[in-house]
Amino acid sequence: MPESESGLDFRRGMIDRRIAQTKHVLLVMSGKGGVGKSVVSAALAGVAAASGLKAGLMDADIYGPSSALLFGAKGLPVEGESGLVPPILGGVKVMSVDLFASGRPIPLAGSGANEILLELLALTDWGNLDLLVVDMPPATGDIMLTLTSLRKDDFGAVVVTMPDRLSISVAHRVLELLRGGRVTTIGVLGNMVRGSTKDKVTGPSKLAEEFRVPLLGLLPYDPSVSGAVEKGNVEALLRTKFAHELRNSMRAYLRGMRKGALRAAG
Amino acid sequence: MHELSLVQGIINAVGETASEKGGRVRSVRIGVGELAQFDIRLVRGLLNDLKEGTSLEGAKITVEPEKSKVKCLSCGRIWNFQELAGPISSDEREMMHFLPELLNSCSRCPNCSKSYFEIEEGRSVRIIEVVLDA
Repeated sequence: MPESESGLDFRRGMIDRRIAQTKHVLLVMSGKGGVGKSVVSAALAGVAAASGLKAGLMDADIYGPSSALLFGAKGLPVEGESGLVPPILGGVKVMSVDLFASGRPIPLAGSGANEILLELLALTDWGNLDLLVVDMPPATGDIMLTLTSLRKDDFGAVVVTMPDRLSISVAHRVLELLRGGRVTTIGVLGNMVRGSTKDKVTGPSKLAEEFRVPLLGLLPYDPSVSGAVEKGNVEALLRTKFAHELRNSMRAYLRGMRKGALRAAG
Repeated sequence: MHELSLVQGIINAVGETASEKGGRVRSVRIGVGELAQFDIRLVRGLLNDLKEGTSLEGAKITVEPEKSKVKCLSCGRIWNFQELAGPISSDEREMMHFLPELLNSCSRCPNCSKSYFEIEEGRSVRIIEVVLDA
């Protein structure tokens, strides 16, 4: 008796194969816009590359992509035999819908954003990476659900939050969603912290404590970041005090990864 | 030529389905949506070249064009790629070649001029059906 199969999405298998070539996937999340996820993601991928790791950055913020701008990446990616070759800037392979849309608005209804994400994940030829940083969109919709269901063992998330109550309340929801799931919460990263003791006590630290996850660090509000962002050059971003603190905050995580990369290299 | 990796993805997916279900592939129907503007002869040629030694070897392979169907969620009008409200530039066609959903970035509903629409059919290459001999 013949058996018929329809609705088979072949991109899922392509994505699994691509992701299998990456040792670690790290989602940079917050659930809320404006807390600095994209800048943290870009700087983190840049810090990883500068420390000798093979790093990539996937811009999953389909409605409001900014990774291409942060890295000064322009133009369509090159088509290779194995897929789309992401441009390499500051040592980081960068993929973003904005390499295609080039600043045009991206008004997507229904499943449109998720379709774009699936297409980019299926087509991007990252090669072998030590770390793929994913700049997550705000909200906890389809894109987050697609990405948190990727088949990957070494799969972590960093939750970025500002110290204010609004950011904390949304980050709280994200941590709740991550709890018990297959994505390991690497920790909470406070961002744009202005240094008062009150901020530190009532904000990210308490959140980390409540969920029993590490507080990775408290990144300062650093006015020089906006100047570096204006330049569209990740090297300039990496020279800021903010990036210096991020490097310290993620030191242990990246050190573990470098050891793994060295072991693999024999 | 990202068509090559898409066709390879199709062949792998069909092979995995056949081995999961434990059957031989009798036939495969592939749809090529008009929004991605693939050359259907190229897709056929790649399938022919790459099927050797895979579960698709010996199977009947049909590759058929699929017209687009876009639904305006504002006025309800159903339209297609041929009825675009404004001319689409070659740059815009190229971005849609990779990401058909970017039609939303370069076009509006021909009836109400809103950008609030959804692609229902004919976006890109897809597997319509795989028939296995159980």
